[in-house]
Amino acid sequence: MRARWLPCLIAGLLAGPLAAAFPAAPARAQVDTSRDTGTGEEAAPAPAGEAAPAPAAGGGVRAVDLYAPRAFGYVLGDAFSHQVEIALDPAFTLDAAALPRPRAVTYWLELREVRLEDLGRHDGARRYRLHLGYQTFYAPLEPKRLEVPAVMLAATDGTRRVEARVPAWSFLMSPLREVSGAAPGEALRLRPDAGARPVPTGGALAQLAAAGGAGLLALAALAFQMGWWPFRPGASRPFAAAARRVRRRLDASAGEMDSSSTSPHSSSYAAALLELHRAFDASAGRRLLADDLDGFLAARPGLAAAAPEIRRLFAASRLAFFGENIDIAKTCLPAAELGGLARRLARLERRG
Amino acid sequence: MRVIREMEPLGDWRARALAFEREVGKAVLGQARVIRLITIATFARGHVLLEGDVGVGKTTLLRAVARAIGGAFSRIEGTIDLMPADLVYHAHLGEDGRPRIDPGPLLKQAGDLSIFFFNEINRARPQVHSLLLRLMAERSVAAFNRDYVFPHLQVFADRNRVEREETFELPAAARDRFLMEIEVGMPLGAEDRRRLIFDPRFHDVDALVGTVAEGVLDPAGLEKVARAIQAGIHASPVLEVYTTALWAALRDPAAAGVVVPGVDMARLVAGGASPRGMSYLVRAARVRAWLEGRDMVVPEDLRAVFPEVMAHRIFLDPVYELRRGEIVGELIAQVFARVPAP
Repeated sequence: MRARWLPCLIAGLLAGPLAAAFPAAPARAQVDTSRDTGTGEEAAPAPAGEAAPAPAAGGGVRAVDLYAPRAFGYVLGDAFSHQVEIALDPAFTLDAAALPRPRAVTYWLELREVRLEDLGRHDGARRYRLHLGYQTFYAPLEPKRLEVPAVMLAATDGTRRVEARVPAWSFLMSPLREVSGAAPGEALRLRPDAGARPVPTGGALAQLAAAGGAGLLALAALAFQMGWWPFRPGASRPFAAAARRVRRRLDASAGEMDSSSTSPHSSSYAAALLELHRAFDASAGRRLLADDLDGFLAARPGLAAAAPEIRRLFAASRLAFFGENIDIAKTCLPAAELGGLARRLARLERRG
Repeated sequence: MRVIREMEPLGDWRARALAFEREVGKAVLGQARVIRLITIATFARGHVLLEGDVGVGKTTLLRAVARAIGGAFSRIEGTIDLMPADLVYHAHLGEDGRPRIDPGPLLKQAGDLSIFFFNEINRARPQVHSLLLRLMAERSVAAFNRDYVFPHLQVFADRNRVEREETFELPAAARDRFLMEIEVGMPLGAEDRRRLIFDPRFHDVDALVGTVAEGVLDPAGLEKVARAIQAGIHASPVLEVYTTALWAALRDPAAAGVVVPGVDMARLVAGGASPRGMSYLVRAARVRAWLEGRDMVVPEDLRAVFPEVMAHRIFLDPVYELRRGEIVGELIAQVFARVPAP
């Protein structure tokens, strides 16, 4: 009993260093694939690198090679993965429907991942690679050999159906602690859970701040461009402010028209004309008279698109203010067009 | 409609005015603005003082204008020893050897005199200036114990700015009576300059003036036309407000926010811009509106005649008097840039 024990103990102690030393050298088990030869128990844990010749009995399946990790040094909750290389006759394909599903294999073993890689045909065989990820939840009281059961796969060439068997694999699990009798020490006390490792959010926060800042800047730029609050469309955008005031004047005049005679309407029409004149003054940097329009428009090609309307505006204003004939002025430039012109000028001004 | 009816007596006078400009333009190249201003002054019945360098054609211009206007024309050269009596009386020895006093250049044509042309006015003495003062303001002089009246008289004078020796600055009161002081500059167009230098037509002044049609305007009718223009061209209340605002800004530029670089605006304007000046301004603006074919005065009319009508009526602080030309020009430009129109 003791003699059987010792190597297991040593193996358990060495498990960590060994696992670190040979992580990329899984035990290779070449197994007989015919259905009726041998049981997995004896054949499975073959030493690494040892390849038993695979008799091509029954046809179809040529070889099933299991590449497993170390067979010892596992404790409760450890995960391990198997890699199975499958070679079939070229005519055969592996039946994906027959693959095992991730599930609880036994009460202590969980199959967590099944992934099949199709390597295609080469060296006269059709090859697959199957990844199987397991996790053990067995809690041994002493080092104990456990067995991952064999997995049955199926291959077909359309008419025939053959089975391939991934052999069982046994491994050694060790307890996490002494069984009993030891003094209750610090090590055995249930220790508080490790604090959750903080997810590094600094980068995301910085990106959020940058995106938010950029968004605010864009909004501010848009507000400036459109003359929204808090930017007054002041000295730099006289027409935007004028368009707003002209609309207010004309709205007010529309309200007045129902209740009273045309004179208040006329005066608000004149006031709207004045607003536009002040906008032209501000835009030109001096008082702009009708005769100055050519030079003004030449200096501002952006506004030149509205040149005919601007000239009509000045003509109407001349009639209204110096000809004292506001009715003729209105036939020259109706109040509705006045509002439209104001908006158009604001738009042209924005475009620059 | 009302305006149109009042304009009717004017008939084809506008066409004649434009023809007058064309005729004068034949003799004088590159001075379209000066000719336009002289036309305005003629139809506003105002006196004109021309100012400019020597040899830019002031005298030629005035001779052409006098010929195109028509009517009796008299001319005198200002000299330092010219006395008022030399203008009024002509003292000479008669054929019988006895001294005689006859009417001088002013009185020779008596009431028919339409243009009195005073060359180099700043060479004449203040006594002569004061005679002119009455002649221009009241269109009359006293001589031979009676008053001579010149109902159609228009005084043109010129002076050059180059020399200051042996000259007498015109008193402010005399300058105020000129409707306009017009600056005659060099012709700007290269083609005009080339023609003036090389075209023999412009070398013989007498022949050149002779090409101008005579009497395009009728001096006797001008007075009536001028009255019809003043009555017929309409100045709206808005324009009245604008004109008064211009005046206020000129009198007190600091309060109106007018800024001329390098000048203390609070002390720049010492006075001037008289009410007579402003009324002249509106008179000239009405004529310009009429010449432009409008029946209403607009701010552009005021602006077009403002420097010539108003500049010489503005009195500056003595500190700035030496830089008068540039400062007043800038002041007027700034006033028009600041005062809102309409």
